[in-house]
Amino acid sequence: MPAQTFEQLAAFVGQVFPKLDQLSYYDLLGLSSATTEGEIRVAFYRISTDLHPDRYHMLPDRELKDRLETIYARICEGYRVLSSPERRAAYAKALNEGKKRLTSSERESRAPQSPEDTIKHEEAKKFFRLGMMSLARKDFKGAVMNFNFARAFEPNAAVINQKLSEAQAGLGKTGGPAAK
Amino acid sequence: MSVVGIDLGTTNSVIATVRDGQVVVVPAAHGGYLHPSVVSFSTDGLKYFSREAVARRIVDPKNTVYSGKRLIGLSFRSKEVQKAIARLPYELREGNNEQAVFVGPDRTYTIPEVSGLLLGYLRQCAELFLGDTVTGAVITVPANFNDAQRRATIDAGRIAGLDVLRVLNEPTAAALAYGFGQHMSQRIVVYDFGGGTFDVTVLQVEGDVFEVLATGGDTFLGGDDMDNALLNILAELFHAEHGIDPRKDQAAHARLLIAAEQVKCHLSEFPEARGELKNIAVGGQGEELALRFHIARNVFETAIRGLIGRTVQTTQEVLASVGLAPSQIDEVIMVGGTTRVPLVRAEVERFFGRPPRIDLNPDEVVAWGAAIQAENLAHAGENLSNRAVLLDVTPRALGIAVTGGFAERILDRNVPLPVEQTRIFTTSADNQSTVRIQVCQGESRRFDENVPLGELELSGIPPARRGEVAIEVTFRVDTNGILRVRARDAATGAAREAAVNVRGGMSDVEVAEAVERQKSQESPIEDSLVPDLEAT
Repeated sequence: MPAQTFEQLAAFVGQVFPKLDQLSYYDLLGLSSATTEGEIRVAFYRISTDLHPDRYHMLPDRELKDRLETIYARICEGYRVLSSPERRAAYAKALNEGKKRLTSSERESRAPQSPEDTIKHEEAKKFFRLGMMSLARKDFKGAVMNFNFARAFEPNAAVINQKLSEAQAGLGKTGGPAAK
Repeated sequence: MSVVGIDLGTTNSVIATVRDGQVVVVPAAHGGYLHPSVVSFSTDGLKYFSREAVARRIVDPKNTVYSGKRLIGLSFRSKEVQKAIARLPYELREGNNEQAVFVGPDRTYTIPEVSGLLLGYLRQCAELFLGDTVTGAVITVPANFNDAQRRATIDAGRIAGLDVLRVLNEPTAAALAYGFGQHMSQRIVVYDFGGGTFDVTVLQVEGDVFEVLATGGDTFLGGDDMDNALLNILAELFHAEHGIDPRKDQAAHARLLIAAEQVKCHLSEFPEARGELKNIAVGGQGEELALRFHIARNVFETAIRGLIGRTVQTTQEVLASVGLAPSQIDEVIMVGGTTRVPLVRAEVERFFGRPPRIDLNPDEVVAWGAAIQAENLAHAGENLSNRAVLLDVTPRALGIAVTGGFAERILDRNVPLPVEQTRIFTTSADNQSTVRIQVCQGESRRFDENVPLGELELSGIPPARRGEVAIEVTFRVDTNGILRVRARDAATGAAREAAVNVRGGMSDVEVAEAVERQKSQESPIEDSLVPDLEAT
């Protein structure tokens, strides 16, 4: 696995990157599942000496560097999981279930916000929603009007002002009359 | 072409490079190696640096910017900036994208522009001293600087015409200066108490590998707070004598603050400080009012004990986070001028049960490490052996806002870098076409209690019932500590990848304009500011 030249590095990345998701942390660190905590650190330090992204700072090939960073990030993840007894035990379970990573693949029950969540005033919310619909249809004139209505009800909501300037920019681009 | 390491400090900055395998620190214009982190502006567009700029803090406080590091990369509306404004004599205003901008005599300047002017001056000092152009730099930042603060620091470097090879955590730089090439196997603590920030970092050093085990700190705790404590003591003495509060007058405030710094340094060496400060303020009859003072070290120590207590508390928490006791530390490295205060050393020694290392110059050690890393990065590839490997960590947990005002964590703190994590979220409403990914840092479950970093939108989601859409949110943090966020609609594959639109940051266009402006306006530094070559 260690790379001593850029050619060797490119070969290593070309080989590991496509099958990264099929490799366990043990595979990546070149260890057996019976390894002690001390050996994990030694292996991680040895690999880091060869693969840490800083080593290839001056490399012009961005894609290669990007892939190396993804591989090395996975190795770091493995090191973090395996060097904690609790996380390592949880990983043993995950491995038995056929998973190679100890991460949550469950869908979260909570959702990120929609843009209107930060608007408090109900009328402002309503016009904002109308504005978003206009914006989606690329009806910038209608969008500017609706966002301006929304702003009349709630002048200090950042998201309204932001969308308003987006709509105004769209209006400018399509050559329509600028909003007064 | 040379590369340099720059410790861009709150109060002072240090710039160093590696020559023939040895670290060389660039001397300052007026002796010593500390370049004051002060830029003063005049109406005719001239900029002053070094001792001239420091002097202008008194004669022209409104146009003289100091402590810029306390503002860089923060939103104008953040409580840190609001707190700083209350005691800074120069005017700040809210600019584009919630940026704090300095209102200069000729125009407004963003904080990265002001820092960029300072970095440009430092670069010129180094070029004159080295007789060579300086192209690249490693710039150090406090370990707990967030994504926005790191980006703003990189912007400042770019504005100064520097290729920023890396932003490096100050404690990691100090550890590198301490251990590079020493072939040691030690667990060390770097206790970094600077002008404006406090950081503590635990590292494992094994030969060329420097692994950060944990880091923590306080971006708003530093020697400046000690100066303020002393200023208050002096101001109250003055008030008692003359019935005037000098803190209410800008010029008097500036004079007292500079005196406070000197008194602090004096009290770090001697048990008491006596003296007379002439011409502090003007009395009712137009007479000049002076202050005669006598301050014993223990009075000063009483005033600052609480500040030091906060650093010890933070140190304890950081050690506890990795299950270590103070006795399990092999060496304690002191960094930052504030560690010269005897009570700081005494309290650190009391906590660890061993005297800290004070043989490394606490003012220069960070720049040393930055210079070593700059050399490492610039020559990466020429020789792959015998180079230090720095394994750093995320300083804060990172997450996104979810419904109900909660924050869902995506990355823990103290995770090795680089790191990439994906979480799958869903929509909160039927036919929701857009999701807004608001990124925050901090450990709290409540979004409001964390620090908002910026946001990203994913639009064009096809109509579906709430909960049926799967949105993958991926966070990636590189070795600079810079975050990239990707949001992807798993069904359509539509993705938005972006550096989050950082609040309080400069846009790429603004940075490009500033780079051009600086390039066209940079004037050679005046003779009086050329570093004294004899000083080496």
